[in-house]
Amino acid sequence: MEQNAIYELLAGALGDGALGYNEHALEPWADVAPAKVVEACRFLRDDPRLGFNQLMCLSALDWDGLDEAGKGKSTAILGYTDDGQPETSDRVGTGDLGVAYHLYSHALRHKFTLRLRVARDVAAVPTVSGVWTTAAWHEREAWDLMGITFTGHADLRRMLLDDAWVGHPLRKDYVMPDNWNGVPLQGQAYSANPFPVETGGPDQPAGDKPAEG
Amino acid sequence: MANESTRVNAAGLFSGRGWHDQDHVPGIKSELLELNMGPQHPATHGVLRLLLQTDGEIVYKVTPVLGYLHRCAEKIAEGVNYKQWVVYTDRFDYLAPMCCNHAYVTAVEKLMGQEVPERAEHIRVAVSELSRIASHLIALATFGLDMGAWTPLLYCFREREEILNLLERISGGRMLYNYMIPGGVRYDVPNDNWVADVLDFVDLMEHNKLPEYNTLLTYNKIFIERTADVGIIDAATAVDYGCTGPVLRGSGVDFDCRRDDPYSVYHKFDWQVQVGRGEMGAVGDCWDRYIVRAREIEQSCRIIRQALQQLPEGSYQALALKAIVKVPAGAAYTRVESAKGELGHYIISDGGQTAFRNKVRSPSFCNLQVVEKVGVGQMVSDLVALVGSLDIVLGEIDR
Repeated sequence: MEQNAIYELLAGALGDGALGYNEHALEPWADVAPAKVVEACRFLRDDPRLGFNQLMCLSALDWDGLDEAGKGKSTAILGYTDDGQPETSDRVGTGDLGVAYHLYSHALRHKFTLRLRVARDVAAVPTVSGVWTTAAWHEREAWDLMGITFTGHADLRRMLLDDAWVGHPLRKDYVMPDNWNGVPLQGQAYSANPFPVETGGPDQPAGDKPAEG
Repeated sequence: MANESTRVNAAGLFSGRGWHDQDHVPGIKSELLELNMGPQHPATHGVLRLLLQTDGEIVYKVTPVLGYLHRCAEKIAEGVNYKQWVVYTDRFDYLAPMCCNHAYVTAVEKLMGQEVPERAEHIRVAVSELSRIASHLIALATFGLDMGAWTPLLYCFREREEILNLLERISGGRMLYNYMIPGGVRYDVPNDNWVADVLDFVDLMEHNKLPEYNTLLTYNKIFIERTADVGIIDAATAVDYGCTGPVLRGSGVDFDCRRDDPYSVYHKFDWQVQVGRGEMGAVGDCWDRYIVRAREIEQSCRIIRQALQQLPEGSYQALALKAIVKVPAGAAYTRVESAKGELGHYIISDGGQTAFRNKVRSPSFCNLQVVEKVGVGQMVSDLVALVGSLDIVLGEIDR
């Protein structure tokens, strides 16, 4: 089915939850209201004319730094000054966050893209893991790396980073810490052994040093 | 020791009642045991950790713990330019890096609207399929190893070595190639008889080596006993969990991006999509996923033969090698069929030299999730068969 025909069906079902359709883009997409996303996904999956049974991809997005015309500058912090400071350490992100859903129908062989935007200080979207189970892991990853809370998710824990990690690295204003548990993260030499041998444990009498070599 | 009585008890767990719910032997306490499988475990195919709750030999709950190989490659993509990031795609599926290269350059070219010379596309298809064969060989070898068959490992690695030699001659790298660039490939086919050597190899592979694997492993009675009717993923579950590639096709879903969502020049070649048919047990068991890969090797040989026999003359690069790639503002999701399944790139460009956002949808990540459902109620040794048959690679799960 044609992309704009799919959008017309979706807009008819969602009412004011469908916010717009970007027809002239390379890959057209529909904007939906975050509160209506589960309803939209259920409709797209269950309507026999659409039949989107596969969620191909769920991507978390950070629109910070991108202006209305789609021009902007990526503000990833990967460069450091000579004394080891991040180059844009005092940046505060203000732009919206977003989620993009890429859908596919095995029976009808068509694709569709849904997008939504959510304010940075809200950063919460209803989960679609009840519609496609594969979304559960995609959403955990999105929470881990982008810090978008998926309300109603059964198991929203960190997925790729350590449970004790602070911050969400894919946000444009993320500043990498200079060390993690004593392990330097910015390319400096180790100042000390980051994993010192603890002495005085139950297996090792106090003051007993491990054998050399 | 998966005899009939344990199978029945294992099935009972799906109804929510495990052995630990009742006292089988009065006075003997039974409780769930927490067990760590991995991250350093030969049967987890990398640094995967499976947190198991077992009830005796039966798995009650599986929780994969990921991230031991995490590099946040998507963040790195925002800091290096489009050409530089090809190197990082090699490190996703390091068993089939050519497929990952192909996925990424296809995505960038779609955003650029860049035409690619026919010759370059033919070379890309040939090396991608060689990479796919190499990856499937590892899958067969390590799966056999998981099931206790040592010898196939040596046979499969022997043939893989030949592929690595061929790919080294065209790209310069043995394992990680950095071979494709937006607009073409980095080097032309070498003029030291490379095409003839590849054609010789695929003939040997198809007519000589694959029958050898079949007698060694595929139709081995012990192997069939260990894999048939084990770890059954039905078609609805496979689609719901986002499984793709041989895992999806093993469950009987006839879908392959190369045929159904065509990219590159795959539409020019004559080959068939392989699906699991439940020959040894139920559709979607471990043996079906195995045989889909084995038969895909044969199909890849057919594709390579056609791609190289019809190799057109002409340029192999549309852009100068040193040209800086600039991508117009826009967004596109592109997927290709890598060795493990559907490898997608969602690239948002702001018109500059680096991607504004580059999301990677890796097939192993989605395929692995299904163990949370299918692993439950299995014997621990059957869980090893299930994970082995999914053919995951941690480089692209953790990214």
